[in-house]
Amino acid sequence: MQQLILFNVFNGLIVGAFYALMALGLSLILNLSGVINFAHGGFLALGAYLAYSLMPFIGFWGALLLAPFLTAAIGLVIERALIRPLYGRDPLYSLLLTFGLAYILEDATRYIWGAQSLPYPIPGWLARPLSTQYFFLTGYRLFMVALVALAVGTLFVILRRTRLGMRIRAGTLDLETVSALGVNVRVLRNLNFGLGIYLAGLAGVLAAGMLGLQPTIGTSLIMPSFVAIIVGGLGSLPGTLLGGILIGIASGLTTVFFPSASEAVIYVMMGLVLLLRPRGLFGEEGRLK
Amino acid sequence: MSEQKNSPVIDRRTIVRAALAVGAVNLAPPFILSARGEQSVKIGFNDPLTGTYAALGNNELIGSQLAVEQINAKGGILGRPVELLPEDSTSGDAGTAVQKTRKLIERDKVDFVLGNVNSALSLAMAQVTSEKGVLHIVPGGHTDAVTGASCHWNVFRICNTTQTEANAVAGVLLSKAGKKWYYITPDYAFGHTLQAGLEKAAARMGGTKVGGDLSPLGTTDFSSYLIKAQAANPDVIIFTLAGDDMVNALKQAVQFGLDKRLHLGGAQQELEVLEGLPPEARVGYWVFEWYWKQAGVPHVAEFVEAIRKKTGKVPTARTWFGFAAAWSCALAANAAKSLDAVKMAKALSGMTLPAEVGLMPHLPYFRAGQNQAINTLYVGNAQAQGAAAEDLFNVTDLIKGTDVAGTLEETGCKMSWPT
Repeated sequence: MQQLILFNVFNGLIVGAFYALMALGLSLILNLSGVINFAHGGFLALGAYLAYSLMPFIGFWGALLLAPFLTAAIGLVIERALIRPLYGRDPLYSLLLTFGLAYILEDATRYIWGAQSLPYPIPGWLARPLSTQYFFLTGYRLFMVALVALAVGTLFVILRRTRLGMRIRAGTLDLETVSALGVNVRVLRNLNFGLGIYLAGLAGVLAAGMLGLQPTIGTSLIMPSFVAIIVGGLGSLPGTLLGGILIGIASGLTTVFFPSASEAVIYVMMGLVLLLRPRGLFGEEGRLK
Repeated sequence: MSEQKNSPVIDRRTIVRAALAVGAVNLAPPFILSARGEQSVKIGFNDPLTGTYAALGNNELIGSQLAVEQINAKGGILGRPVELLPEDSTSGDAGTAVQKTRKLIERDKVDFVLGNVNSALSLAMAQVTSEKGVLHIVPGGHTDAVTGASCHWNVFRICNTTQTEANAVAGVLLSKAGKKWYYITPDYAFGHTLQAGLEKAAARMGGTKVGGDLSPLGTTDFSSYLIKAQAANPDVIIFTLAGDDMVNALKQAVQFGLDKRLHLGGAQQELEVLEGLPPEARVGYWVFEWYWKQAGVPHVAEFVEAIRKKTGKVPTARTWFGFAAAWSCALAANAAKSLDAVKMAKALSGMTLPAEVGLMPHLPYFRAGQNQAINTLYVGNAQAQGAAAEDLFNVTDLIKGTDVAGTLEETGCKMSWPT
């Protein structure tokens, strides 16, 4: 039993790291632009399918590098064309737009690549467990955690050390002042959206190697990411990271005792956090208007 | 009272519209009468075209479309052309499935309803069709109740019951994989009855259950389930999942190397799932309900060719379900010489499907008293690659449905016909 719990804590870390990757992209967009991007899962699926189509030409590694950028490029275009006109308005508008967009993206992938799961091959040396006892530690999953760590690290460096990052952070706190100081807020929001979608695309490519590649791959992963943001606290990226890991572990541990509740438990956690600490673990008070 | 109070002021336009409408109604009857010979017979198709079961539902649709083309080429139903009206039931939303069924019956006035892939939705749809008295054929929803405890005189089913599938495969699983079983089961009607069926069949043949877990439908990450299953030290992990859930679970199990330490297997397996898996994950003992490679069985090669021409791929069991379901409508009506649902149901009950529709060594027949098709079952093992590119299943045993379907009493169906 002890071993089972230990295993599930480790395993939860891996799963949670993945949730966090998706949630960070969502969180970036939400913080700066106030857009609750329901289409994030759609972009995730798009990234995965683009990688699938690219793989025969540029291989697994090439696809892993290129597909997220392509997804981000599509994200930039969509932001410019569809989301930008809605910025000044009630958040409900952009919420409805991205909600519809999620369906459009899912059906587009189904139309182009078919409804059936596609086999997404990964290099053989990654697709096996590293030790017989800790069989759930496969090369691919560790690689994924490492990549998530790298992506998160890079993101934090971008946000702390680069001009763009500082502007994004400043804009998150007070967009009007940033705008008054001569920063082009439109471009800032556009790039920030692209950065968020890049993370979605990356999550998609990683997910495809572990799960089946199917048009619904994003929809099933998006809700835990929202929960991660709420648990971690709106406006706090470290909070989002922690939120993702926490729900990963909680969901894994629940499987040990009461598996059919493994999905429900993350919502129970969300409910508890909202009751006891509405701003989330690391959230700032009164963050969401 | 309030209706009168709220009635809008009648303006000129409303009157003109009303007049036109009345005029049209007056004109309509002779027109319809003269055209009745050409008026089409409608088959309402209500299956998941989006969501987890989209691939399965789409394949059933393709099979039904081919059947309708063939029926029309052979003179239609009672000399009238046949039209297929497809609707997306969604993969798991019973509300939508019911509403679409009502729409098909009430607005489109269909003569037949086909659906659903999802067992729970099949049951929900059957409520509506039996209330409305419309002939309903379930192509691929497997849970026992559809033709068991919740059976209806108007509801027929093409695919097998979960208990039949369990009975067919249990022997092979026990002899080739081992006696200690651990279940990973989706938490809804189909999974529950499939696991119960396997437990029953295994207990009879000396197998034991060392554990089991329910996973919510649409679970993507099965790692924690697999960790728990492995810790129970079973001979076999039995996957009673379907669709994308099965793909996700098997892919992860093989990446964890579990196929090298113990056996993986289960009851129902589908070509859609095996095609979605990387070659190394196509493992385990399973039962197929129809397979495209059947040497020497009449008309199978033509069917495979016709589907390949339509889609570029071989038909799956789902394609055959849809095909046989749509054909059953035509067979019922032409045998009853009527579109009256009761007469058609009586004609279909007990009927053996002709070889060009049945496409199996032991031809399917609808067992009277429960309206369940008794088919041939194909037990074997998944394989990375066979002689042909799409040959992903190696059939080792052909099981006759009558041997594994159990008795009519065991199904629990108590059918009552309208008086």
